[in-house]
Amino acid sequence: MVKKQVRRRKRRKSKQALIGYLFLSPVFLFYSIFLVFPISFSLYLSFHRWNMLTPPLKARYVAVKHFTYLLVQDETFLIVLKNTLFYALGTVFIGMILALIVALAFSRTKYSSIWRFVYFAPVVTPPVAIGMIWGYLYRPTDGLINTVLRWFHLPGQQWLSSPAQALPSIMITGIWAGVGFTMLIFIAGLKGIPEMYYDAARIDGANFWQGFWHITLPLLKPTILFVLVTGMIGAWQVFDLVFMMSSGGIDTGVVPFESVGVVALHMYQTAFRYMRMGRASAMAFILFLVVLAFTLIELRVLHRGGVESY
Amino acid sequence: MFLPFLWLILASLQSEREIMLRPMVFIPEVFQWQNYVILFKKYPLDKYYFNSFLVNSSITGVVLLTSSLAGYSLGKLSFPGRELIFKGILATMMFPVFLFLIPVYYLLKRVPLVGGNDIWGLGGVGFLHSYPALILPFVVNAWGIFLMRQFIIGIPNELLDAARIDGCSEFRIYGNIILPLTRPALATLGIFIFIQQWNSFLWPLIITTSAPKIMTLPVGLQLLRVAFASARNQHYFLAGLVVGIVPMVILFLVLQRYYIKGIVMTGLKG
Repeated sequence: MVKKQVRRRKRRKSKQALIGYLFLSPVFLFYSIFLVFPISFSLYLSFHRWNMLTPPLKARYVAVKHFTYLLVQDETFLIVLKNTLFYALGTVFIGMILALIVALAFSRTKYSSIWRFVYFAPVVTPPVAIGMIWGYLYRPTDGLINTVLRWFHLPGQQWLSSPAQALPSIMITGIWAGVGFTMLIFIAGLKGIPEMYYDAARIDGANFWQGFWHITLPLLKPTILFVLVTGMIGAWQVFDLVFMMSSGGIDTGVVPFESVGVVALHMYQTAFRYMRMGRASAMAFILFLVVLAFTLIELRVLHRGGVESY
Repeated sequence: MFLPFLWLILASLQSEREIMLRPMVFIPEVFQWQNYVILFKKYPLDKYYFNSFLVNSSITGVVLLTSSLAGYSLGKLSFPGRELIFKGILATMMFPVFLFLIPVYYLLKRVPLVGGNDIWGLGGVGFLHSYPALILPFVVNAWGIFLMRQFIIGIPNELLDAARIDGCSEFRIYGNIILPLTRPALATLGIFIFIQQWNSFLWPLIITTSAPKIMTLPVGLQLLRVAFASARNQHYFLAGLVVGIVPMVILFLVLQRYYIKGIVMTGLKG
C-alpha cells in the first residue's frame, strides 16, 4: 500500500519534472538562439577580423590584437571609456540623491499622485524625443534655458555646442529623464520602513536628521543597492540620448566626438558604419567586463553592511 | 520638471512667424492646430505608429505567454536544476546588449528560405527587412520571468494540489487557475514591456535604417529633424515630437496604477 503510494508519488514527480521542462522549453530555445549563440559568436569575432560580408569562419585570426589595439593604441576608446565612467557615476549618484530628496518630500505631501505623474512623464517618453526636445532647449542663442537664464541676468551658456559642457549637459538631461523612476523605487522602499521606529526616535528626542541618518538610510540600503546596481548597468550602456544630442542634433553645433562619445556610440559606429565587427565585439566584451567588475564592487561594498537580500 | 513638455506643446501650436520671434513668446495668439494636419500630410507618422503598434503588441503578447509559462514552471513545479536555471535567467540581465547586436543581425540575415535566401541562408536578406527582425529577439524577457515567478510563488499550493487530486493536468492548472489568478501581474508586465519596447531605439535603428517599410516610431521621430531641418519648418518638427510623446503619456496616465506596481515589485524584491 505504502509502496504503491510512493511509486505513484514518484511517477507524479517525474511527470511534473517533464512538464516543468516543457513549460521552460520556449525559454531554453530562445536563450540558445539569442544568448548562447550570440555570446559565443561575439567571443569568436573579438579574436578575428571580419566585415560581415565574407563567411565568418574564413575570417582572419588576429589573436588579441583587437584588445591590445583598443586598450593601448586607440586613444578614442580610452577617452570614451572615461566619458562613460564620468556619465555613469555622475548620473547615477546625482540622480539617486535627487530622487531620494524628492521621495522624502513626497512621503509628506498630499496630491502626490499628480506630482508623481509630473516626475514620471519623462520616464515613459521615448529617449529619442527627450534628446531632441533638450537639443532645442539647450540652443545657445534662442533656447529656452538661456532665455530663462537671461531673465535672471545670468550669462547664457554654450551647452551642447561647447566641448567642455556637452557631456555634462547630456548628463543633466539623463538625470531629468531618470529621476522619476528612481524616485518611485525609493518611495516604495520608504513605505517599507515601519513608522514606529521614527516614533521611538522622536520620543528619545531625535531630530529629522538623526532619524534620517540612523533609521532611514540604513534601512533603505537594499533599495539603494538595487538602484545603484541597475542604474549603473543601464548608464554604462547609454546610447539614445548621446546619439540624439551629439553630432546629429539640431542646431547644436558640432563638438568633437571625443568630448561626448560613449562606449555604446563608439561601438555602434565601429560596427555598423565602419564594418569592423571584430573590433566592435572586442569593445562589447571590454564593456561587459567593466560592468561586471563594477557590479561586483558595488555588491561587495554595500553587502558589508549586512544586506542579505542580494 | 514639466516645463520642457509645456513649452513643447505650446511651441508646436505657434505659427511660423511666432516661433521665430525674439525674444520668444510662449502662448500662441491663435492656436495653430493645422500644424498637426499638415505634419501628417507631409510625414508618414501614422505608418510609424502602425509599425510600432504591431511590433510591440506582438512582443508583449509573446512575452506574457513565455513569462507566465516559465514563471509557473520555476515557481510551482519541482524538478532538478530549478534554482540553478532561475539564477541563470537572472544573470542574463547583466550582459550588455552590445554583445548581441552583431551576432543577432548576422543570424537574422542568414535565416534560410526567407527574404530571397536559399536553403543555406545565402543570397538574400533573410528576416532583416521584415517584422520578425524587430520581434523575435525580444520575445523572452528575463525580468518578465522573474516578475511572474515571484507572483505565482505566492499562490497557495493547496489550490493547485486540490486541482491535481481532481485530475487536472498541469496544462489545465496553468490555463484555468494560474492565468486567471495572475491577471494583475500580467497587466503590470504587459504595460511595462509595451512601454519599454515602444521607446526602444538602438535595435530598430540598426534594422530599419535600410528597411523604411518597417520603421518604428522612435526611428521615424529621429528622422523628423532631417525632414524638417530648415528653420521655417520648426513648428512641424515640434508638432511631430508632441505626436510622438503624447499617446504614450496618456496610456501611462490611464494605466499608471499597474505600471507603478511593477516598479515597486522589482524595487523591493530585486
